Amino acid sequence: MNALTIEGSQSTPYIVADWDKGCLLMKGDSYPENSFDFFGPVIDWIERYLADTSAPLRLELRLVYMNTSSVKAMMDIFDLLEAVHAQGRAVRVDWFYDPRNERVLGLADEFREDCSFPFEIGIDA
Amino acid sequence: MNAVDPDFLEKITSLLADPAYQSNPLCQPLADLLEYSEQQRLRLERVLRISDGYQHLARHDKHNLLLQYDRQVRRLEKLARISDRYQNSLREVSEALKEAALHDPLTHLGNRRFLMERLREESERATRQGLPYAVGILDVDHFKRVNDQFGHELGDEVLCKIAGAIEGALREYDLCGRWGGEEFLIILPDTTISFAVPVVERVLAEIRSIRIALPGQAFGGVTASIGITAYLSGESYAQSINRADAALLAAKAAGRNRIELAVAGEPLSCDDGAVRTSRK
Repeated sequence: MNALTIEGSQSTPYIVADWDKGCLLMKGDSYPENSFDFFGPVIDWIERYLADTSAPLRLELRLVYMNTSSVKAMMDIFDLLEAVHAQGRAVRVDWFYDPRNERVLGLADEFREDCSFPFEIGIDA
Repeated sequence: MNAVDPDFLEKITSLLADPAYQSNPLCQPLADLLEYSEQQRLRLERVLRISDGYQHLARHDKHNLLLQYDRQVRRLEKLARISDRYQNSLREVSEALKEAALHDPLTHLGNRRFLMERLREESERATRQGLPYAVGILDVDHFKRVNDQFGHELGDEVLCKIAGAIEGALREYDLCGRWGGEEFLIILPDTTISFAVPVVERVLAEIRSIRIALPGQAFGGVTASIGITAYLSGESYAQSINRADAALLAAKAAGRNRIELAVAGEPLSCDDGAVRTSRK
């Protein structure tokens, strides 16, 4: 299964992964009851994509609120990207935020710390 | 003697090889002992080598564990930092929502919900401690005329000025808020009705002194009427409010721009400080 779509809810983000384009989008608030269960398929998809192809991977994030376990899942994902980036794989993160919610800018910046792959933070137009 | 002295071993070997000693009965046992000693030496060296290997491995593992530990600590710190920021932003949102839920966006005074909460608290406190409190409902006189004649924008400005006038005239521990429309509620804690009167008179005087400069038009100012009553220990605050409301109606009926007092069952009227009884 190379397709991954998770419909968003009040407490979980909308997630869609496009294997052919090498792009994974996450959008919305993230405070699932069980982050391990929720992010498991996402992390699986990323691991399979990185193992089965050699194409670039781009993460497009439009996340607003995240609970602690979601923050941890996101750090795990960034660690995966960091590891393959060290081996020369083209990976990048584009994080868009609503200019009405400037706090997200500071948070995305905090996430970006320690990441050596391209990590852009931009205003959601 | 050191662990291995090559000269010593050399000397034994050459003695053993010397034909002059071949018939010596100690010659063979000595040769065996030498062989045994050599084997022990090799064995010892092997044990040392293995032991060193293990030690090296343990050191390497420890070093790796320390690196991993440092990394995990840094990760945890980062996680806590990010998580705290999210939590703070939620707290700010929740504060803002609370503020919005309890305040009137136009005048920034407390809204009806805020006032009802305070009335409940004050009533409980008054009943528990047997302390009096006074409550007044103030209504702007002929406010519709202000809106009709000068427009809603000026009407809003008048309401804001009145809110400021009320707040300015009250004592620090008094409470006020927008009850709805052009009605304001005043709560005077620890205050009997006779002490409430001068405070409320000051409020009405402040409102009378409101001036708004309008280009090309004369804004004649505003007045307000107010009905006040004392909370009776044990009653529901709705009962006090009803009494204050009835007193307000009486003040309106008596010509506006005045204070009317209501004691349970028997409203009193007060006009410019001169208190007189009047029937509902």
